Amino acid sequence: MKQSLPFFPINRRQWLKQAGCGLGITALTSLLQDHHFLVPRVSASDTETSRSEHPLAVQSQQFQARAKHIIWIFINGGPSQVDTWDHKPALSRWHGKSIQEFDSGFKNTTGFFKNSVGTLMQSPFSFSPRGQSGKMVSSIFPQLGSHVDKMAFIHSGFTESNNHSPALFMMNSGLPRMGFPCLGSWVTYGLGSENQNLPAFVVMSDPKGRGLPKGYAGNWSAGFLPSVYQGTHLQPTGIPIPHLIPSGKASDATQKNYLDLIRKLNHGLHENNPEESELTARMESFELAYRMQSAAPESLDIDSEPAHIHRLYGLDNSQCDHFGRQCLMARRLVERGVRFVQIYSGGSDNQHSWDGHSDIAGNHQQFAGETDQPVAGLIHDLDQRGLLDQTLIVWCGEFGRLPVAQTGEKLGRDHNPHCFSAWLAGGSIKGGVTYGCSDEIGFRASENPVHINDLHATILHLLGIDHKRLTYRYNGREFRLTDVAGKVLHPILA
Amino acid sequence: MYYPRRHLPLFLLTFILFVAHLYDATASTEKRSPQIQSKHASDMQKGMRLFKETIRPLLQTHCHTCHNEDSKSAHFDVSTYDRFVTGSKTLLKLPTSLLMQRLYHKKIPSIAHKLSVIPKPTMARIIEWIRLGSPFDRPLVPNTSIVKELSAPENKGVHPFWSFRPLDPKAVPPLLDSPWSQNDIDRFILVPLEKIGISPNPPADRHTLIRRATFDLWGLPPTPEQIHSFVENQDPLSYEQLVEQLLESSHYGERWARHWMDLVRFAESTGFEHDSDRPNAFHYRDFLIRAFNRDMPYDQFLTWQLAGDELPSNRPDPLIATGFLGCGVFPTQLTESEFESARYDEIDDMITTIGVAFLGLSIGCARCHDHKYDPISTHEYYRFASCFTTTIRSELDLILPPSGELHKVQISSEGLPPIKHPADGRGYPHFYPQTHFLIRGDVSQKKGIAYPGFLKVLMRDGKQSDHWTQSPPPNWTRTAFHRTSLAKWLTDTESGAGHLVARVIVNRLWQHHFGRGIVTTPNDFGSQGARPTHPLLLDWLAQQLIHYNWRLKPIHKLIMLSNTYRQSSGFDQIRESKDPENRFFWRRTPRRLEAEAIRDAMLLVSGLMDKTMYGSGTLDPSMLRRSIYFTVKRSELIPMMKIFDWPEHLVSIGSRTITTTAPQALVFMNHPEGRRLCRNFEQRLPKETVTAIHQGYLHALGRPPTQSEVASTEFFLSQQTTLYRTLQQSDPDTLARIDFCQALMSMNAFIYID
Repeated sequence: MKQSLPFFPINRRQWLKQAGCGLGITALTSLLQDHHFLVPRVSASDTETSRSEHPLAVQSQQFQARAKHIIWIFINGGPSQVDTWDHKPALSRWHGKSIQEFDSGFKNTTGFFKNSVGTLMQSPFSFSPRGQSGKMVSSIFPQLGSHVDKMAFIHSGFTESNNHSPALFMMNSGLPRMGFPCLGSWVTYGLGSENQNLPAFVVMSDPKGRGLPKGYAGNWSAGFLPSVYQGTHLQPTGIPIPHLIPSGKASDATQKNYLDLIRKLNHGLHENNPEESELTARMESFELAYRMQSAAPESLDIDSEPAHIHRLYGLDNSQCDHFGRQCLMARRLVERGVRFVQIYSGGSDNQHSWDGHSDIAGNHQQFAGETDQPVAGLIHDLDQRGLLDQTLIVWCGEFGRLPVAQTGEKLGRDHNPHCFSAWLAGGSIKGGVTYGCSDEIGFRASENPVHINDLHATILHLLGIDHKRLTYRYNGREFRLTDVAGKVLHPILA
Repeated sequence: MYYPRRHLPLFLLTFILFVAHLYDATASTEKRSPQIQSKHASDMQKGMRLFKETIRPLLQTHCHTCHNEDSKSAHFDVSTYDRFVTGSKTLLKLPTSLLMQRLYHKKIPSIAHKLSVIPKPTMARIIEWIRLGSPFDRPLVPNTSIVKELSAPENKGVHPFWSFRPLDPKAVPPLLDSPWSQNDIDRFILVPLEKIGISPNPPADRHTLIRRATFDLWGLPPTPEQIHSFVENQDPLSYEQLVEQLLESSHYGERWARHWMDLVRFAESTGFEHDSDRPNAFHYRDFLIRAFNRDMPYDQFLTWQLAGDELPSNRPDPLIATGFLGCGVFPTQLTESEFESARYDEIDDMITTIGVAFLGLSIGCARCHDHKYDPISTHEYYRFASCFTTTIRSELDLILPPSGELHKVQISSEGLPPIKHPADGRGYPHFYPQTHFLIRGDVSQKKGIAYPGFLKVLMRDGKQSDHWTQSPPPNWTRTAFHRTSLAKWLTDTESGAGHLVARVIVNRLWQHHFGRGIVTTPNDFGSQGARPTHPLLLDWLAQQLIHYNWRLKPIHKLIMLSNTYRQSSGFDQIRESKDPENRFFWRRTPRRLEAEAIRDAMLLVSGLMDKTMYGSGTLDPSMLRRSIYFTVKRSELIPMMKIFDWPEHLVSIGSRTITTTAPQALVFMNHPEGRRLCRNFEQRLPKETVTAIHQGYLHALGRPPTQSEVASTEFFLSQQTTLYRTLQQSDPDTLARIDFCQALMSMNAFIYID
């Protein structure tokens, strides 16, 4: 129940008493942490019955690292690597040939539709060199292309499932099954939150009514971690966070009066008991809630931003304004200390997301168009505010797509678990570099293959967390995001 | 000798570091060193990939034609890893690898002497593979007979680990004369307390006691009438009568079935991408409520859930009970390449849940390798899994009491048509006729058929799995009775797993009465779990359970009649310094209510609760029935329940985490449903202010207010009324009183029970 503090001669309650009144618990907690009296949660192994009184208090990084926040642009549905960032000139040479000629081991069941395997197909998009690094970028990213020197590309990602929801779970939690904590939960568990007036881990999904990513809330689940670490899913339309508005006829004055009464009546119930600090924490949660009522709407109030910022995120463009609003909210949230923001581009599957089974050209043109300006604007904006250094941006989906066409009225591409591309920017990412590569047609990761455990290990490392030491004890075992594997991709770190 | 740290001689430091290093090295093999282990795992993973992609084809095409099982050219056979390395420890040891020397033609007989030179990149790959530990995924020839059988640990008499041992016959209440002790439990508790020299608390006052007992057994607060009749009753037996009445009420089942639902990952949808509804799964929840209310013996409760479909009975409940097996997640969207592995996942979900819920053992850990900490081998895992080879979800039309109507019910059984699956049209078989031993859990690496069997560590007196084998009655062919056999073994206290099953369940009862089990890790009684704080008490309680024919209600009564249970939460610094965590139970530790109890208390206090029992649930958050009747849909968990730490219902949860967060406070402050309940609560209260305050306290907090509380509230009411009046709200008086009701429900004492 009660965790005693190692290396500390008297217990917490006594110390709280002696430390005197007036000092808020949160301030106290961080004070304790600053003096290393509170062991960071990441190294404490909570027992099943342990009670977290301040589950979101800031936890120190395990080692110094620049990134403190993450914004993950989730390219939902699985973007095609050879049509986005992984330029494959050889694919033109192979165009129209059977993939069996390239790889006799190819199986029709690699993708989802075994009866629609067409011939190899070059990208419908042209590529041109961008930035100082001359990275070849698809024509569907005119704006993002100008930021390639801030990005580190991974072209050798691979995953374990060719099916959306297991692959989404895999990308988010490191395992292709339901029930395990996702990266955002692990990160907030490890680092806490810098703003106690806002949720620590925020998820935004498609506001255009195209649905949720497959596997739904399982993708931002805390699994067996305490549920306080699960992602807060902003309602895609309407009021983003529930219960922020008093339901009765309350005014600020009546609400304050009500809080005063609770404080008064609560007082003295457990004057001397160890539960005192727990109950004080509860009273404090009411005060935080009171502040959140104004802090949360304020943090999401993008209308208060000037017109040039709106333009920067593409809010004047009806194709991408919805995503631009989400990116702008993301910036405002990390600015206010929110730890992890994940934005899903697209809804469920097929034409609702990047899942370009039919008409890969039209599909990717559309979804790139919805995100290019907003994400480019986000990078630019974070940079000009000096926040890019502290904020890691991840661009990645759940898997890649096959270099062969998926047959049909308009040619598409089917799922490919053997290879995907991703990029990271910000934090202490080295810009303009590429790690790993796929084979010449972009079918398989060939050099320096990157497992999702490696990607997770690297992201945690960028946040100052050793993935091997971020553990949680559950049903008799110390669990990790990276299970028993994972290596940090040092070549992409500055 | 004392060395200040900065004067520590260098040689000593070096020596210490050296010893520490040695210790580390041994620790890594003995215990667990995550660093080494994880590098090993990732290396093996890489090496395996390399082997599959490059080395295997190389061996297959260039080596195996001559160096195989039959021809064994040059007495060398590469068909299995064991044969490959036989006879040479240095064959695959860098840097002097014999294989490399021979490949480089530096040693005679050289390998591949017919080739003048092996291409450099090929050599580089072979070296890399050796460096990575030269993993071999499977023999080069299929179905080879030579793979060594995985050995299971020997069945040796008495196990050294506490939870595997039989119940201790010496677990009898200590002879002790103390006015404090009410029953045998108290004697077990007093002995260690006396040892550390502290005394337990006196009993709590009667207001506290009835509130504690009612929440514990019903998950509801006592009403002012119940409180009045108990507090005023001077009969010394009145407390015992109270406990009996509480146990007899059907609210008891609605409370304790919910605890069980956490353990069995109960939900009514499939999870994964579609999270399709299982509209007929709720009957299992109703079965649980009935079973707890009837005080069904726990061994029977267990047997029905595993194998109720194999009982010679026409009653619906044994069939409904098998819903237990089918409440786990299962994907509705499956590609052909996932069919078989999904089936192994499905069986894994069943046996993992059985392991932690009934045995407190993480059997699932042995799926890919022998359990690292507990004596469970991969071999036993697959034999255990084999009991469920043909078990699938089905639906049956059953005539259900009390209505006598026909209802479709989800059950799990064998030989019945499966519930439809979207992949049916693509040949999804639902099950495979056999369960195989898998290497590293990989369905492409089968290694013989696994036949049903149980865990050796929980078999005594030289008994083998077949000792518990039950045969179907004559003319019965539909099911194999493997699950009945399994249940037989699980409940056999003489030579099977019954002793552990009994320990695990009495610990859960204790846990829900005290907020913490005698074993604080209720789902882990293995070596990584906590040790019991009172091992003899635990064993005695387990024996009592068996003595009372596995009925739970007598155990509740034993626990609740003890003074250990009745004591106050009174705090004392001196005693706290000796036992800060209250491991020895010298006081009552106040506890926060679970999501269901919080919401149910709000409903009851408001007077709006609809007490209808049973039947299909709903996702409507404004439902007025008890929270156990919420439909558990995995992708649409009831928001208010989640905010108060409702589990995700994906895996077995032994004890919920408890958090204190601002969103919880927002529920009390702003939730429209909460406000609606408070409006009703206000209407229940008398018009006169002081009596209203008095009644409000009794309803919400189970005790009358103190004078200063009355004064504070009166002051608040007048202030709030004035505020609303200045805001020109109509009926400012009532608004203020609703706010008072809301404040009562927001108080710590509303959700923390002493």
